[in-house]
Amino acid sequence: MNRKKRERLFIMACLSPAVILFLIFMVWPTFEVFRMSLYRWGGFSNTQTFVGLENFKILWNDSNFYRSFQNTILLIVVVTVVTLAVAIFFANILIREKLKGKNFFRVIFYIPNILSIVVIAGIFSAIYRPSQGLLNNTLSLINLENLHQLWLGDQKIVIYSLIAALIWQAIGYYMVMYMSSIASIPESFYEAAALVGANKWVQFKDITLPLLWNNLRTTLTFFIISTINLSFLLVQTMTGGGPDGSSQVFLFYMYNQAYTNSTYGYGMAIGVVVFLFSFILSAVLMKVTKRDVLEF
Amino acid sequence: MTKEKLMKFGLASFMTLSLAACGTTDDAEDTDTSSEETTEETDTSSDEAVTLNVAALTSGYGEEMWNEIETAYESANENVDIELTLAANLEEVIRPNMQAGDYPDVVLLSVSREEALTETLIKEDGLENLTDVLDMNVYGEDVKVSEKLLPGFTDTMVTNPYGNDETYLMPMFYSPTGLFYNSGLFEEKGWEAPTTWDEMMALGETAMEDDKYLFTYPTSGYLDTLVGSMLYASGGSDFFESAMSYEEGAWASDEATKVFETIGDLSQYAHPDTTANANPNDFTQNQQLLLDNETLFMPNGTWIVGEMEEAPRADGFEWDMMAVPAFEDDADRYAFTFFEQIWVPSEAQNIDAAKEFVTYMYADEAVDIFAESNAIQPVEGSTDLLTGQNEKFYAIYDEGVLPAMGGFAATDPVPGVSISDELYGKVDSVMSGDVSVEEWQNSVIEASDQLRPALQ
Repeated sequence: MNRKKRERLFIMACLSPAVILFLIFMVWPTFEVFRMSLYRWGGFSNTQTFVGLENFKILWNDSNFYRSFQNTILLIVVVTVVTLAVAIFFANILIREKLKGKNFFRVIFYIPNILSIVVIAGIFSAIYRPSQGLLNNTLSLINLENLHQLWLGDQKIVIYSLIAALIWQAIGYYMVMYMSSIASIPESFYEAAALVGANKWVQFKDITLPLLWNNLRTTLTFFIISTINLSFLLVQTMTGGGPDGSSQVFLFYMYNQAYTNSTYGYGMAIGVVVFLFSFILSAVLMKVTKRDVLEF
Repeated sequence: MTKEKLMKFGLASFMTLSLAACGTTDDAEDTDTSSEETTEETDTSSDEAVTLNVAALTSGYGEEMWNEIETAYESANENVDIELTLAANLEEVIRPNMQAGDYPDVVLLSVSREEALTETLIKEDGLENLTDVLDMNVYGEDVKVSEKLLPGFTDTMVTNPYGNDETYLMPMFYSPTGLFYNSGLFEEKGWEAPTTWDEMMALGETAMEDDKYLFTYPTSGYLDTLVGSMLYASGGSDFFESAMSYEEGAWASDEATKVFETIGDLSQYAHPDTTANANPNDFTQNQQLLLDNETLFMPNGTWIVGEMEEAPRADGFEWDMMAVPAFEDDADRYAFTFFEQIWVPSEAQNIDAAKEFVTYMYADEAVDIFAESNAIQPVEGSTDLLTGQNEKFYAIYDEGVLPAMGGFAATDPVPGVSISDELYGKVDSVMSGDVSVEEWQNSVIEASDQLRPALQ
């Protein structure tokens, strides 16, 4: 056995545990989701009936699915845009500005991220309560009773109430990621820019943002994945999809169909659409945000 | 192979063999003991030692009664070793094992739960037929199960889900449901509990003048017993059955329209916070509205007293329950009887032993154990074991109120269609004015039309 062959064997041996685990826990279940989407099956019996693309045909005409899809897209867009903007803004301030209590703010912003989503649901339920809730009572305190709302009871508002909770939860995590990137930009760049008269905004736009770009692109994928996953958990614990299904997101609808409605195959068809949607959306975002990587 | 490796291999093999030998000895001893037990115990129908896996939902009645049942049954039937699985989220605990082929032998888990595991098994023909259990003797007693059960409990669409005389789910812990209110407040204000819907709406007006609302509900799912009683009151038991089995025209009939419209009228008197609190996190806030005298009535079951035991309440608060009002003077009034169910999966390993255990659920000894935790079995004489407030609640049927029971007929699963989402879930939209009563009724008719061809 020559040296190269031995080396290759060693590499394969080292990689095999991870590859095997990946195949068992990622590739196989994904394949199963695709396979089961072609069957009619309740989840337990041995009678799995092959129905081809029937589940997808039903999905095409299912208005509840469209509503949950719309809600999910709204969540992804608003949560991503707002969280991104706010996290970059605070990351920039905390790194670039001389501010008292920087570490204190850093911890405060990060705390929501270490809380379980069930705790967050509990906190926001208390905030949104109609009579004793923090939000409505604060509005009363500043004489804005006319802005009182049923934050979780009004079908037009409930999805935005969820968005606020998700943004609050996500800001700290992304802020810390952006802070680490901003902190690694050499100070001399900013000094040189200041010497030629560039103000803070120009410094941010022409130095910070281009050098942060790669990090920012990566987090876009994180935004999509985490919003899809966390919105399911938040809806499950906070609103139960209500009132009357108005806060359903597509993973919640998938879970409901696969289990509560005993249509496992149909649930998996929704799973396939969710999988393809998140995959394609991430790919499109990666493509349109592609820039030459700037190095320093 | 080096000498060292050989030694390690030898040692490992020796240890494996010794462990295997130990295992064999233990197994042999176990078998000996059980065969002794088998010869000693001759009065049981199954003469082999079995381990019976019993899975039960931990509800408001607590876990203790199940542990006592385990001890009592094991000492009554020495052939059986019970392994209990108790959990409040029982579906999440047993579902993965069941999907892997490892089924419990007996399961206490009702229909109409969020996860709908029981419904899934009904739709998938995954339950053992328990009709013969009715003709079996109650374990340790010389009386048949059917003779001991209260009449009517095994003639419902819940116990016989395929619309025939075959029983697949046996009734357990029952409790009357109705509209709960604070009789202390009624006494203080000099109000009478309304007997008709007209009186109910008139009381709604009176309450409004007093800054109170007539009605709330914890979540829309709690409306099942209210709607059920109203359907019975509107068209009788035949009409209820036809609506529950999606008969053509049933949901569009005058009787059904009367129910939809009455709930629509009720929405005008509903507490405005209801829909905002009607979710898994805040439903107790709606129940609290009653304790705070902000709302007069709420559909619920007798468990509410224990559930809200620690909650603060208005002075002089006293729980009371009334039947759902009648549509006309002197017409029939109903109170829906909620009961849990116990069943045996058809994939269970010990079906005979499981059925025998199910008969024991109605034995005097078991009934007493359950009653100590306020879980009342639907057997003759069980209401004599009631004490305090429960005695008052269960006496509702003694006052001329009729019992109502049943649920939707089983269908093959239909993707994207849920009758309970349309019938109960949509009430949130009716209350908030997002959907008109007519649109609500039409959506129920549409769902019923879609489910009819899938009837089993």
